[in-house]
Amino acid sequence: MSTKEELLKRLSDGVVDMEEDDVAEAAQEYLDAGYPAFDGIMEGLVDGMNRASQLYEEEEYFVTDVLLCSDAMYVGLDILRPFLPEEEGNSKKKGVIGVVEGDTHDIGKNLVKIMLETAGFHMIDLGRDVPLRKFVDTAKEEQADFICMSTLMTTTMGGMNDVIRLLEEEGMRGQVKVMIGGGPISQKYADKIGADGYSQNAVEAVKLAKRLLDIA
Amino acid sequence: MGSVTVKGRKISCGEGPLLKSLLDAGVFVDNPCNGTGVCGKCKVRILKGECSPMSETEHRLLSDNDAASGIRLSCMAEAAGDVELEVLQQDRKGKVLTKGYLPEFDRDLYEDGYGIVIDIGTTTVVTALIDLADGAELAASSMVNAQKHFGLDVLTRITYEYEHPEDGARRLQEAIVHSVNDMIKEVCREAGVRAEDIREIDVAANCTMTHMFLGVDARSIGRSPYKPVFLEAKRFPAKEIGIEAGENTVLYCLPQVSAYIGADIVAGAYVCGLQDTQKNVLFIDIGTNGEIVLASGGRLLCCSCAAGPALEGMNISSGMRAADGAVEDVRITEQGTALTTIGGKKPEGICGSGILAVLKELLRTGIVKKTGVFIKKDKLSEADYRYPMLRMDGTKREFILNEDPLLIVTQGDIRQVQLAKGAILSGFTALLLKAGITMDELDHVMIAGQFGAHLPADFLVGTGILPEGVKEKIAYVGNSSKTGAYMALMSQKARHGMEELAARMEYMELAETENYERIFTESMIFPGF
Repeated sequence: MSTKEELLKRLSDGVVDMEEDDVAEAAQEYLDAGYPAFDGIMEGLVDGMNRASQLYEEEEYFVTDVLLCSDAMYVGLDILRPFLPEEEGNSKKKGVIGVVEGDTHDIGKNLVKIMLETAGFHMIDLGRDVPLRKFVDTAKEEQADFICMSTLMTTTMGGMNDVIRLLEEEGMRGQVKVMIGGGPISQKYADKIGADGYSQNAVEAVKLAKRLLDIA
Repeated sequence: MGSVTVKGRKISCGEGPLLKSLLDAGVFVDNPCNGTGVCGKCKVRILKGECSPMSETEHRLLSDNDAASGIRLSCMAEAAGDVELEVLQQDRKGKVLTKGYLPEFDRDLYEDGYGIVIDIGTTTVVTALIDLADGAELAASSMVNAQKHFGLDVLTRITYEYEHPEDGARRLQEAIVHSVNDMIKEVCREAGVRAEDIREIDVAANCTMTHMFLGVDARSIGRSPYKPVFLEAKRFPAKEIGIEAGENTVLYCLPQVSAYIGADIVAGAYVCGLQDTQKNVLFIDIGTNGEIVLASGGRLLCCSCAAGPALEGMNISSGMRAADGAVEDVRITEQGTALTTIGGKKPEGICGSGILAVLKELLRTGIVKKTGVFIKKDKLSEADYRYPMLRMDGTKREFILNEDPLLIVTQGDIRQVQLAKGAILSGFTALLLKAGITMDELDHVMIAGQFGAHLPADFLVGTGILPEGVKEKIAYVGNSSKTGAYMALMSQKARHGMEELAARMEYMELAETENYERIFTESMIFPGF
């Protein structure tokens, strides 16, 4: 019988090593031994994902490596999540994320979403080629705290500006933070269109979101 | 008025001679004298229906046998009601070598005069003057696409159109038409040919370049759902877009498949015989966009992968254009790093093929691992020959390619190439999956394009852009875009063949492919040694 610490380490290592099967096995053993699912997620899976993002920052891991890590993490989440005592999602900060209209490149957006979820944000993923209006409507319905937009193409980046204008028209700009990213995007562009922040990569995006929403 | 049916295709027939209706509908009819009733070349055979009575000219220019078998000159005969006919062309066979692979084909179009073929690339434009009598290339010229002032890649140029909706398309057109006119002048001067004697200009280009050359709004190409304004072949007087050649010089733009599979790829696929092969043949043009066509089981599947500019030496910290002093090959051994540069000059930077050469060696020697990361310097013993080749910039690892002048390869450089490799290999893999064949079942892999021509098979498989298993199947076809334009200029059959081919090619949007992210992620893994 493995101890709780050993199993948490296996969960964490499985994520870092991108080994879905190891994670699934460890997660099942962890549950069978009667340990709390919440700790398994936070101290096992999320810990592994945090280590992976550390490696990403150090250039040891690349986008695709982190995506593989997240695959492993989600395998574990699917097993542990049903055993969480109750949804404590209401206390989480809520974000709407998507690739702006006209663009179908979403790998970068997916990574940002994963990192934000791992960091404890509740993310509503609108996918790619998202009609600009939908960012605003969803943010309103869900009472979201922030909107994240990305694009890889210069031809579609103007859509980000339009979303901010729509937020202003709806009188929502004060309640919703806007962060943007993607290949052709820069801090300068964020300043130009009046976005609250720009992040160069997924790890930076988490730091930015925390800063904008005053989370320690 | 009545209709005219040619090869089962019904076209509308207006006033005047048949020739006019045929040319208006894009049916090629040889008519060196421009329909003045002098040359007698524009023969058609009337299969069904009635025409105007035989003219004096036709009695003079047609033999009795011709006349008896229903042959008329299309510049004279007018339809009296519905007519079915066939266009008669003398069959000529010939084989001329240009740069790049050229299959044997029927030359059945012009018998004299001159023609121009142009390959408009996003970066480079190539123009050649052709003697239509024998198919010989009399002169050739190439220059940087003058649209570079509006951006280096197609997307930036399309963005220019978005930002300048009133005159963006017009200014982009002016730039490229101006370049083309200069090149026509140049090749004509070199060969001592008058520009007025050019009968036809055939153009192969990617879809965005074709739009911009013809002054057509390209904006819709730049955004999902990436829908071009037109795809079909175009044929009209060259002077209409400001080309300076003859009064009657015809411009023909080859057909296209989708926003990111243009006429250049249709041309290349045709040159490689994909339209009627019984084998499994993969055609690939490697560049900023990697375009791939797979012929298998009677189907023609194609896709385009956004490789980015890394493979052309851009976005690489020590990158440079393929010019004198660019590192083009490298060998890493226990004795150190031996460089080969273009022109044997002192190394100044790394060109696109050079970065692949470097990467291949870094992978072979284990300095870069399968995941694309540099090995940790502190994991190597100081006695290891690789130890002094690595250095740390803060926490970041770098490879020292050359000490003086200092040329380094960063982790970021490797990642740029890795993204390009992942994009191309994922397209390759997705097409094979779609066709339901394995890599072993591929018979040939044809590499096209200027850049591809500089990539030896061991660079391609050594960096995992293509799998090791296809190494022995790789063949190079050179500038097949230009060759395809050449075939279209010389052969009616080739022209029709390309139009049919373009219509048959099935475009696959990679981003919409099931499990694409997974395929892409797996394609990022480098070969391990």
